[in-house]
Amino acid sequence: MTTRREFLTVTLSAAAGATLPARRASAAPKAMTVVRESSFIKPFDDYFAKTLAAEYEKQTGIKIVYEATSVGGMLTRLTTIAETKSGPEIAMTALNWPHLFDKSLADVSDIAGETGKQLGGWHENILEVVVVNKKWKALPWGNIGQLEVYRTDWFKEVGVTKFPETWEDLLAAGRLLKKKGHPFGFELGHGFGDNHGWLYPLFWSYGGREVDKDGKTVVIDSSETAKAVDFCRKFYQETMLEDVLGWTDVNNNKAFFGEQISCTNNASSILVVGKRDFPEIAKVTDHALNPAGPKGRFHVINSVSHALLTHAPDQAAAKAFLRWLYDDKQMSRWLASADAYYAPFLHGYDNHPMWNAEPRYLPYKESLKTSRPHTWPGPQGPAASESVAKYVLVDMFAKACRGDSTKDVIATAAGQLKQIYKAK
Amino acid sequence: MAVGPASVARPARGAGRATSRRRLLERESVFSWVMLAPGVLFLLAFVAYPFFYGIFLSLQDRRVASAGTFVGLANFAAQAHDAVFWQVTRNTFVYTIAATLLKMVGGLVMALVINQQFRGRNLARAFLLLPFIVPTVLSTVAWMWILDPTFSVINWTLLHSGIVTQNFSWLGNATLAMVAIIMVNTWRGLPFYGITLLAGLQTISPDLYEAAAIDGASLTQRFWYITLPVLKPVLIIVTMFSVIFTFSDFQLPYILTHGGPANATHLFATYAFDIGMSAGVLGMGAAVALAMLPALAVLIVGLTLYLRRE
Repeated sequence: MTTRREFLTVTLSAAAGATLPARRASAAPKAMTVVRESSFIKPFDDYFAKTLAAEYEKQTGIKIVYEATSVGGMLTRLTTIAETKSGPEIAMTALNWPHLFDKSLADVSDIAGETGKQLGGWHENILEVVVVNKKWKALPWGNIGQLEVYRTDWFKEVGVTKFPETWEDLLAAGRLLKKKGHPFGFELGHGFGDNHGWLYPLFWSYGGREVDKDGKTVVIDSSETAKAVDFCRKFYQETMLEDVLGWTDVNNNKAFFGEQISCTNNASSILVVGKRDFPEIAKVTDHALNPAGPKGRFHVINSVSHALLTHAPDQAAAKAFLRWLYDDKQMSRWLASADAYYAPFLHGYDNHPMWNAEPRYLPYKESLKTSRPHTWPGPQGPAASESVAKYVLVDMFAKACRGDSTKDVIATAAGQLKQIYKAK
Repeated sequence: MAVGPASVARPARGAGRATSRRRLLERESVFSWVMLAPGVLFLLAFVAYPFFYGIFLSLQDRRVASAGTFVGLANFAAQAHDAVFWQVTRNTFVYTIAATLLKMVGGLVMALVINQQFRGRNLARAFLLLPFIVPTVLSTVAWMWILDPTFSVINWTLLHSGIVTQNFSWLGNATLAMVAIIMVNTWRGLPFYGITLLAGLQTISPDLYEAAAIDGASLTQRFWYITLPVLKPVLIIVTMFSVIFTFSDFQLPYILTHGGPANATHLFATYAFDIGMSAGVLGMGAAVALAMLPALAVLIVGLTLYLRRE
């Protein structure tokens, strides 16, 4: 191969297999754009933009433009892309977005199949999020787990040397810590991650469910939900600051590093930031799985994936890039650059070296086994998104914490869900 | 060089065209439309089109990235049964009425003060404009710190001056959160009132005050019988604008509370955004946004009619 065109023809043809005609390869684009939400882990963004993109350009001549949106801005950006059918070829998706943008996303089942085969298979629970009508509409990247973050020194002060196993035990520890001037701070406001990150697991662990598997039967009005609500009220009143009712996602981080709270629910980025900016606090910070309730232990799936937009002019070239990116040679390095922030959904990475660098991140890997998507066991789709966007569950708990009766808050949530799911 | 009849005729034709163009432009009806055209085109593209598209969307069951189906007024009917929608309506009215009244009174006081002669007046005027000049996103982030329970300068001052014994949860308590966003909106909007009313004050002839003073009118009487009547048209116009801006406020509540706690500070704009963009229900989101329209239309028509009558 002596020319770029020849190289492209061979590479893309080989990569796309027999389905890719040589004629398409010869018309490969000069550039493609990948849009992602800025990661809290800067080296991760940099590794893609400066190392991987440059490598791909060197190999294929195709420039990969990396577009980073602000944190929390990706959904709006993806909406604009899908509505205008223009812009980046590849986009990051989160949560259940593949279901929301189904018609704008190409089928990437072939790549998912190959990657799964190469890397030990996919975790079952991610399929619910990215597979729509039996087609993979996004390639899972990793889970940004929402786990417990706590101050080991203050917990020791009250005689708790191991993080409590159950919500009741955590409540008992919280009472002691609040008395000592170290309250808990779990978000109950309208943020986008740290609220759902503990409220869904708490709700599920008491047996509560919003809607049944059929997506038509609202089942939130139950004794299990009532128990979860009653516990949450007690947990809030006896362990927390009043302000958590109005917190968004930045507040708990600020309070943790301001040494105002001894425990919260957050992603592992809090320790990354701690090591960088607050090393003394980082030394006495640890992570733990969410506590278990009477019906088990749960976590939320807060997944990040990559999807191919149907408007991309050269689908084959975009697929070739995704196939290259999801090859172990690239994927492994990019994951490692993120300091274990993304827990991959591939069994082949269950013992990846990235987990060895910092044992305190191991619970994030462990949590994958008990992770479920928001609104589980209800089907993922537009109604599920509406429930999350309207903060139905968060507000049910928040209202109870501010003093509303259990019966009233459940009735309000049930009314909202019936309207959202068009149920009777 | 010989000059043929054709070459003589050519400039004459050009000159004729220029003259007729000039004549056309000199006609007031034509000239005014030429001047208006850029503005009208801008409004059509960026105001009228989104507005009518919004109405179109609100009549559809339209999910993001999907084709919509016409549902008539079903989205509006669904809102009527949504408890959060009614809470949002109440919140928006409370927020708008309280913030507008505070801005009106505060702005009037501000204008009366900076209309006086004192040293450093121009500097004071420049500083008073700051809240209006600083981008809302930036100033709201600063307010997040000011209202933070831990780092709040307000709480610190109240606590250390012995006025309170424990910190206020400005954004965690439903009532205080509403008070907080009203307070920040008032801070941001005060200069708009102040400067506009100052312009109005400066049009009042000092002769009127002198004549009133000679007749024995007190300060209060001069305010009620000279200042306020003359300022009334300006006050109505500025109130109309302020109500529109406050009613449709988005950035401030979205950044400060995102509608929380438990929807206590959700306004039409933030709720419409959550439904339309976060949930991807574009039709319903548009319907929530359009719910602002009747109240604003009544207000604008009412105030305009009142002004015309005056």
